[in-house]
Amino acid sequence: MKKRAEETLETPITPMIDVVFQLIIFFVVSAAQQQELLDETIKLAKAQEIGAVSKKDPRTVTINVRQDGSANIANQPLRQPQLENILRAARTEFGTSVPIVIRCDAGAEYRHVAKVMEAVGKAGLYRVQIAAETTK
Amino acid sequence: MAKRSAQEPLNVPMAPMIDVVFQLLIYFVLTFKQEIPEAHLAVNLPSRPKSPPPGTPPPVLNLTVQPRAYLLGGAPIALDRLRTELKELGALNPDVTIVIQVSQSAKADQVVKVLDACKGGNLSQLNLMTLK
Repeated sequence: MKKRAEETLETPITPMIDVVFQLIIFFVVSAAQQQELLDETIKLAKAQEIGAVSKKDPRTVTINVRQDGSANIANQPLRQPQLENILRAARTEFGTSVPIVIRCDAGAEYRHVAKVMEAVGKAGLYRVQIAAETTK
Repeated sequence: MAKRSAQEPLNVPMAPMIDVVFQLLIYFVLTFKQEIPEAHLAVNLPSRPKSPPPGTPPPVLNLTVQPRAYLLGGAPIALDRLRTELKELGALNPDVTIVIQVSQSAKADQVVKVLDACKGGNLSQLNLMTLK
């Protein structure tokens, strides 16, 4: 088909903008999920005597321990030496009073938690807290 | 700018507005997550033995967590009983040091239950040890 010289090429802008908005929303949503440090597969043990934490130290390092014993930080699976390196890095950056929260699955065997604690101790940190779901 | 005549109705573009509203709705539905109230139970890690401080050593209470069993000072005890015992103890002497020895194959759930029971008695000197 022959185009007349006067007719300008019209680009359909509206659907393009629609697609761009879709992409923006997609990336915003997925980025928000990546930032989430909590491992959704973990079912915490229930505590009845102690209330929920109101404010959290921004330096807190949260370590997730799944039921199968695998440890991760922010869904990044870690082996023991990597975990120790991260904890040592946290210590050099923030000092020895960095709070460590261990979110362990209720069904995980204690030896997996003990291994994480061992890594924490090796890194020279001492403020360890075990997370629980509170019903109070 | 031309003045709108009284007969001409106000033309609001509804369709794109609804589009945007649906986008927002989808965004909030996807990002909604029910927050679980989380409690943090502080524990002391096993450390290398330091030279004991002068004076009488502080009182120590030994708890043991075995798979499917709890022991208070060596004698088996039910969890409910342990809770009341620790509440009574906490009322008498909240500074008592608790040493919790946990079997490797015990579940994390049991450890949390015992720590929770200790917190229920206002006991804060909680030391976790792993049984070899």
